[in-house]
This record gives sequence, C-alpha cells and structure tokens, in this order.
Amino acid sequence: MSGGGIPGTEPASGIPRVGYSAVRELRGPLLVLGDADGVGWDEFATVAVAGQRDRHGLVLEVDGDEVTLQILEGTGGMALGGIEVRFQGRPLAVPTGPGWLGRVCNGRGEPLDGGPPVTAGETAPVGGWPLNPVYREPPQDPVITGISAVDALTTLVRGQKLPIFSVPGLPHLTLATQIAAQATTSAGRAFRVVFAAMGMTHADIAYIRDRLEERSAAGELVLLLNAADDPVIERILTPRIALTVAESLAYDEGSDVLVVMSDMTSYAEAVREVSAARREIPARRGYPGYLYSDLAGLYERCGRVKGREGSVTIVPVLTMPAGDITHPVPDLTGYITEGQVVLDPEVDARGVYPPVDVLSSLSRLMRSGAGKGRTREDHLDVAAQILSAMARARSAAELAELVGAAALSETDNAYIDFRSVVERELLNQGRDELRTFERTMDLAWQALSLLPRRELTMLSGEFLDRYLPGPAGGAQS
Amino acid sequence: MSRLPAGSDAALEPVRLALRREAETEAGRLAEDARRQAEALLSSARAEAEQIRATAAREGADAARTEAAGRSARIRREARRTVLARQEALRSELGRQVRDRARDLRSDPRYPQILRRLTERADAVLGPMASVTESYKGGVTAAAGSRHLDLSLPALAEQALERHAGEVHRLWDGA
Repeated sequence: MSGGGIPGTEPASGIPRVGYSAVRELRGPLLVLGDADGVGWDEFATVAVAGQRDRHGLVLEVDGDEVTLQILEGTGGMALGGIEVRFQGRPLAVPTGPGWLGRVCNGRGEPLDGGPPVTAGETAPVGGWPLNPVYREPPQDPVITGISAVDALTTLVRGQKLPIFSVPGLPHLTLATQIAAQATTSAGRAFRVVFAAMGMTHADIAYIRDRLEERSAAGELVLLLNAADDPVIERILTPRIALTVAESLAYDEGSDVLVVMSDMTSYAEAVREVSAARREIPARRGYPGYLYSDLAGLYERCGRVKGREGSVTIVPVLTMPAGDITHPVPDLTGYITEGQVVLDPEVDARGVYPPVDVLSSLSRLMRSGAGKGRTREDHLDVAAQILSAMARARSAAELAELVGAAALSETDNAYIDFRSVVERELLNQGRDELRTFERTMDLAWQALSLLPRRELTMLSGEFLDRYLPGPAGGAQS
Repeated sequence: MSRLPAGSDAALEPVRLALRREAETEAGRLAEDARRQAEALLSSARAEAEQIRATAAREGADAARTEAAGRSARIRREARRTVLARQEALRSELGRQVRDRARDLRSDPRYPQILRRLTERADAVLGPMASVTESYKGGVTAAAGSRHLDLSLPALAEQALERHAGEVHRLWDGA
C-alpha cells in the first residue's frame, strides 16, 4: 500500500494480512467475496486492484465464508480478476487528538492539503463508543453565533443538536458557514469547529475554505470535504469521522466542539444507494427502514459527559426536496433533534438574510442556555414576546389581505410595522457580520418599542422600565 | 401725448421715490434670495460632495479591508501549505529510507534465517498446504487457494511504517 492512505488503518496487531481474491460478484458499490474466514461484521478492508490505487471497504454482511463489502470509492473500473482484499481485523478507526486541527481532508480523512496523513498515538473506531446514558449531562450554556435570528430566538446550547432545514437555492450553506466561522462559547473556553461537507460543489467548497480560513489558520478548524463528484459511498463515513474527531477534541482535550454537517440529505442518499444495492426492502421514498436509527446513531453522539470538560454540539444542514418538511430525512431528523431553524423562500424573497422563518423555528433547549447568568435576564421573556407578536402580526397581515390595510385597527397596524422592523433590523444582517449579543438585544427592544406598551404583556414592568427605549419607558403609551 | 403741467414734477417726486424704493427693496430681496439660494445650493452641494467622499472612503476602506483579509488569508494558506508539504517530504524520505534498509537486508548474513522465519510464519497463517516462494524483492510470498500472503521485504517495511505512523510527527515536532 502506498503512502497517503486512510490514517489509522494499520492492522490491530502485528499479524500479517491475508489477501483474499475469490471475488464472486461486483454489484453497484458492493463486492461479494467468497472463501474468506474469520472476517467480522463492520471490519475495515483494503482492496488492492491490479494497476490502480488501493480502494477501501467496509464489511456489511458475513454469511458462512461469503463476505459482502461496500467499496467506499465504488466498484467502477474493477474486474473480477486481479482484486485482493485484505481485512484489518477491526472496524475502521481514525487517529484522535489535536493533530486534525488546521487540516483539510477528504471525506475519508485523507489529506487534501498536501500534508502528511493525520496520525496520533491513539485511535478510535469511527462508529463511536456507546455511551452509558447515566453518564450524559444535559446540554447547558449558550453557544453564541453572532447571528441575531439564532442567538435571540433559537439559542444554540452547548451539547445540543439543532438542524437547519432549508430548500435548495436558499443560503443555508452561507448561514452554516457563518455559524462555523463566528460561534464561540463563554470567554476562556477553547472552541473548535469540525465541518463535514458532503456532496458539495467545488464552488461551495472554495467558499467554505475561504470563509473559514481564519479559523483554520488559528488551528481551530477541521475540514472534511466530500465533493459532489467524489464517491457517494464515502459520504457514509464523513460524518462518522467528523464526530469521532469531535469527541476526542471535546472529551479528551476539553474543548467545546461544534460539528457542522452539510448536507445530510446527500448523506441519506448514499445510505439509500447502498440499501438499494443490497436489495433491502425500501421504506418511504426508497430510503431504508433503518434510516431513523442510522441518523440517530449520528445525532445522538452530541452532548456533554459527566466528569469531562468539553461538549459536542451538532448543527446538521438538510435540504428538503421541493420544500417538503414531511420528506423522510427532515421528518426523521425532527424526531431526534432538539428543535430546528427553518429557512423560508418567502422571507428570502423579501431580501432578508438569514431568511429564517421564526414562527417555524424552535430551540427546545433554549431554557438551558438563555436567561440570567447565561445570556441576559430579559432574554427569554423578550424572545417569547417577539414570537408572540410575530404570530399576531401574521394574522393581522392575513386580515389586511381580506379587508384592506385601511380597515385595520391602529394596534394591528403597529404589529405589521413591528414585523417589518424585526425582519429588516433584527433578523437581517450582513453575511460576515458578527453581531454581539448586546446589540441583538438592543435591536429586539427597539422593535418592541413600536408596539403599544399595553401589548407587551410577557415582559415585566421592571424589564420594560429598564430596557424599553423612548421617553419614560416606551414611546407608545 | 400731453405734457405734464408745470409743478407736477415736484408733485410726482414722492411717487417716484416710492417706486424707486420699492424697486430697490425688490431688487435687494431678489438679490438676497439669490444669495440664499446660492448658499443653499452650495451647502447642499458641499454636503453631497462630503457624503460622496465619505461613502467612497468607506467603500474604499471596506474594499481594502476585504482585499487585505483575502491577501493575508492567501498568504497564510500558502505558508501553511509550505509547512505541510515539508512535513510530507520528511515523511516520504523516512519511508524511502526504511524501504532501502529493508532491501539491504537481502545482503545481510542473517537473511537465510529471516527467510526461514517468514516461511514458518506463512505456514502458520495459511496452513501447511500453502506454497511459499521467495519474492524477487526479498522475503517470501505465499498462496493457498484464493488466499495470498505477502511477506516480501517492501510489504513488511510498509506495514512497519503504518504500524508506527503515530510516531512520524516526531520528525518535525522535534520531540
């Protein structure tokens, strides 16, 4: 095997690797091998193909002496003769630790930046270790992203999994990259980002690399890039490697780690491709019936662990084909994750960036990350008041469409004004603007000051007196 | 056309004076208006010029900042690439040396002993029915049915390098 292979793929012990060459079948991404003994499920293998670069495979099935492997690079260009499969005697493991920081690798963890393969004294299986639920600690404390829509209304919490639901054509990648570039936890804590890009175009990859350059140069970033024209099956590994690296940075090194995984729909398509090749009975839209547990196996690797400093926070990005939120990928993701940030084409059409539909977005763990001692004492009440007022503004706008704006009451008109100011001033921001939390809250209060004070029923008199701008605690009486 | 009667000049004097005063006042007012308008135009032009200058300066500064950030990002990336390329060069050189040393083992007096032990190893892994042949690269290769075992010296050198991959960073970390 030549250099530049997948790091950490050396055999578990010094036992020499036997090469098996009785290939019986090549089917889509699958290779069926006969006459193999002592091979275990999920074992990693190197596949030597005469006259070509080595490929890599994972054992999917063992039936007597017959072994089915999925070939990460695909089986294109392979013939039944001239193949030799060498098993590693263990599942795929990757080196762990800070050696990954500042590196750019492909979806299998091989370097793309011209450097040596990432190595370390320790390795960990990419499937992760099952964690005793008793050792889990609930997510706590905010991750401040510098993006008002997220910080103010759907606060991201250390150890949370909060997906971004989008449709093709919206700036979800820009938003995910901006979160990756800007996010931090409280001062003094080490913050690291692992970005797993799956099925990205080269233009998107160039954008991600440029945008995250600063973080990469500071040694705070690990980039795993699977391009749209890279082998599809490799995408099955990409998020697993990302999470394994993140776990080691979090629980061994004590950092707060943010894992951005984009786009999970591309990942699910790779799962579907393997499932179809295995002739499994398809469930919804051709995805396998185990898609839920497969996704849960990834998302559930976030969190905090008792007695360890760090945390793993996951922000997966999903594009919903045709904007269908009942599509299996967003639907199953929604069951597992703790809320969602939904991007809306209508908001995007109004020129608002990020085009977040605040009424469909939710961070279920916001209470654990916001409020006194975490963000600011008035944060939760302000967020609740804004959401309630946005809901009221929406019904007022619907009413205006029926009866005309002139027939609306002064209060309803105030709500409609409020909504446009919230979108224009609070939610809308620059694509590289890092907005402080204080500034976000100021803008929120300025928007609230457009409403009559009597409407602000979710805010205590004390907060109104202290924060509401305008004469004598509120421009409107 | 009739001539004005005598004495009318004196009688009309106040009228003339009044007309003239009015004309003068009007002229003064017009002049003042014109001056005010000119001033207003000038000041609004100045303000606009100032605004244009400020916008241009801001845009220039923004563009320069973006350009500077882009350039420094490119240079940082270039520097990082150089460091990584040197590390990779060191690693390749180590690999080359290890493979050379492994090849040199063929002229080592202990080589027959090595061959014997490799053959024993191949028999142990593939079974006594395996056919073991000496590789032209040094070491042995063995086969039993569709199973193969490559114990040639370059393959063993590669395996040793892979097994100790975690120590390679000492080449550049100076540990």
